[in-house]
Amino acid sequence: MSKKILIVDDEPDMVSFLQCLLEDNGYTTVTARDGEEGLQMAKSEKPDMISLDLLMPNQTGIKMFRELRKDDEIKDIPVVMVTGFAKDDVPQMDFKVWIGKRSIKPPEAYIEKPVDKELLLQAIKKAVG
Amino acid sequence: MHRWRTPIEFVRKFVTSLSFKLSFYAGLVMFVALLAFTYRTISTQEESLIQERIKAALKDSEVIKAAIWNGMMTKDREVIRQIVEAIGSHEGFKELNIYDQKGILHYTSNTDNKSGIGSASPSQSDSLLKDISKNLDMRYRFSDDGSCLNVVNPLKNTQGCSTIACHGSADNTPVLGALQLKLPLEKFRARIDKQAQETLLFAAGLFLLVSTSLGLVIIFRVIPAIRKLQANARNLASGNYNPQSQDYGSDEIADLARSFDEMSQQITQSQTKLEESRRLYRELFQKVPCYLTVVDKNYRISRSNEAFKNEFGDQSGNRCFRAFKGRDSKCENCLVDRTFSDKLPHRSEEIWLTGDHGEQTFVILNTSPIYNESGGVSEVLEMAVDVTRVEKLQKQLKKKEQQFQTLFENVPCYLTVVDRSFRIAFANKIFMEDFGEAIGKNCYLVYKGRNEKCEDCPVEKTFIDGTIHSSEEVWHRNGETKHIVVRTAPIEDDQGNIVEVMEMSTDITEIKTLQNELAILGETVAGMSHDVKNILSGLEGGVYIVDSGLRSGKEDRTRTGWNMVKKNVEKVSGLVKDILYASKERTPEYEECGIADILKEISDLYGKKAKESNVDLVQEFDDNLGTWYLDPKGIHSAISNLVSNAIQACHSTRAKSSFYVRIGARVENSVLSLWVADNGSGMPEEVRQKLFTKFYSTKGSKGTGLGLVVTRKIIEEHGGTIAVESATDVGTTFHIEIPLSRPKQVQASRSM
Repeated sequence: MSKKILIVDDEPDMVSFLQCLLEDNGYTTVTARDGEEGLQMAKSEKPDMISLDLLMPNQTGIKMFRELRKDDEIKDIPVVMVTGFAKDDVPQMDFKVWIGKRSIKPPEAYIEKPVDKELLLQAIKKAVG
Repeated sequence: MHRWRTPIEFVRKFVTSLSFKLSFYAGLVMFVALLAFTYRTISTQEESLIQERIKAALKDSEVIKAAIWNGMMTKDREVIRQIVEAIGSHEGFKELNIYDQKGILHYTSNTDNKSGIGSASPSQSDSLLKDISKNLDMRYRFSDDGSCLNVVNPLKNTQGCSTIACHGSADNTPVLGALQLKLPLEKFRARIDKQAQETLLFAAGLFLLVSTSLGLVIIFRVIPAIRKLQANARNLASGNYNPQSQDYGSDEIADLARSFDEMSQQITQSQTKLEESRRLYRELFQKVPCYLTVVDKNYRISRSNEAFKNEFGDQSGNRCFRAFKGRDSKCENCLVDRTFSDKLPHRSEEIWLTGDHGEQTFVILNTSPIYNESGGVSEVLEMAVDVTRVEKLQKQLKKKEQQFQTLFENVPCYLTVVDRSFRIAFANKIFMEDFGEAIGKNCYLVYKGRNEKCEDCPVEKTFIDGTIHSSEEVWHRNGETKHIVVRTAPIEDDQGNIVEVMEMSTDITEIKTLQNELAILGETVAGMSHDVKNILSGLEGGVYIVDSGLRSGKEDRTRTGWNMVKKNVEKVSGLVKDILYASKERTPEYEECGIADILKEISDLYGKKAKESNVDLVQEFDDNLGTWYLDPKGIHSAISNLVSNAIQACHSTRAKSSFYVRIGARVENSVLSLWVADNGSGMPEEVRQKLFTKFYSTKGSKGTGLGLVVTRKIIEEHGGTIAVESATDVGTTFHIEIPLSRPKQVQASRSM
């Protein structure tokens, strides 16, 4: 039984790429194009892991992450952040700033674009267990 | 106290002494007065006594006449003779004679002159007996040196006498004879003389008494007081001004003595003052912080003060020109000479040589005359103040002033100095060149053409708080817009009051432009790298999918990957085009073109993409907007960017179900208005504000930030403006206004 991964990204190209990469490595994938859809899918599909793009229009990525971590049903699903900004380059892009000061469990991994395939796969493996 | 060498000297001294003189003359006056009084008393007394004597004698003669008349009536000659002899022998009478009218003596009491009876009287010797018959009055006179009173009483012819034969026929004769009485006055005179002698004696005695007592009084009462006075005066003369004795009493001499004491006290006081001022003068001369020397007619220094000696050493006896300047002959225009000749002070600036190395010392020299008792100038005081420091400071000041002036004139910014009434007191060259004559005019008038002071005036602020204020201003001058930084700095007087304010205006238009361009460059680079990163991700992803498709033999997967590769290659070419627009200093390529054509082309280009994104693309322009001189490629690029962004904004929100993008245009008053409006996601205020100045990208689409920079650049190249209004979840509208020129005009401006 292969592990199921939910890919949330507003960019179709990115979705295609991640889908292809993960399927090649033996994962099953489901996709969502924004946070709202992602949250629904998380609840309905019960994925083993979520690859989440934080910077989607209207901050739906952030909203989704907060909701995710609040919801007891789905709060333990590991999350790997895939985002275009390097947090070292832009200090205000730090996780805490995005999420707020409430004690929310941080994402399990943090991958920067352009995506290093090996790094991503390693992070997913570790997160999924 | 007094030692008399010889008695003569003593006498002389005594005679010339005040006491002697006083007592002698007082006694003498009294003596003379008494004599005069006595003489007067005696002479009046003598007069009255003689008168009494005469009266008595006349009375006696009348009595005798009566006695004789009886004898004559009886014709008894013997009786008459006896009466005459009896009376005549009385000691009160000297002689008694009776004469007839012819002057013949008939009776006499003088026994020695019995022989004279019957003979004529010696009328020559006795004038009283002349012409007896004619003298009816009784007469008298003194004879025998005043020792005898001679009285002659006429015997008048009475009834009976003429009838008698004894007198003959003498009826018509009134006087028949005369009775002569001679009365002795010796005793009487002797008594008066004695009285006079006694009086004289008394006067002499009085004189002695008065003189002696006055002399004694003077010697014992006056002289000691005078002696005291004398002693004090001598004391005074010897320089001791403290009176030795003050016990004077209360008379006039005491007053005099006290006046003397007062005088001596005043002398003491004034001498003390004199001494003080002398000391002060000496102290001043020595300690005054300037060089003081006193020179004589031969320019030799006779005295000098401490300051001079410290600097020049003891130069007493040396000539001043040698001492001051190391010269061998007197200076030209010698002030000492002038002061000696005209007795006036003189002043000049000189250079003296001081120290071992003959350093130049700048001094201000004053000469003033020193007078001797006869009013001539005996010496001259040379007074020199060292002003080297002042001189140096003045030179430095002058140099600084010149430097400041140079700076003021040549600094590449406008400089003015403004007073409290906002009038320009100074302005530098550059200012005058650009603003014309400004001195005396109000700054707001000259700077901005205003008639009253500006709001938020930095000059006023500096006057109030004394600190530097600066503000950025935009000036519109001669059709140009200039960005100016105005700095105001206080200028204080020596008391720290702010009297003027310096206004420095620097033209930072170019800097501002450069700043903007730099910002754009930075944004461009940041946006570019982001875009490149996105495109790179897409390419990598595409390549991976193609690889995976080929490996697994899944053709659709290969196609998907390949489309991704193609799409991202397109993006790269678009990006490069944007970069070229943004970075190159590109002159718009103007040509005659129809605006509607350009807009239609854009609508066609984005029609497919809009449909994919479920966006309704609306055209809000007429086909006949006319042909204008524009850069069609530029305008196409600018509007395309906006349309692309608008579609993207619709695509990235789920707040609505139907979306539109409206492209509009209108020409009014030679101004082209263009707008691109959407009802997409919109943007928050802070994003909108940063839109043209800061890179901002909504993720995913092709480089929005760079596209807007390009758009703005193109619009501004056309002399137009771009503005945006936007609200989150409502939408965004870009307004563009471009002033349109007729082809000819643009051509003309281009050929320039």
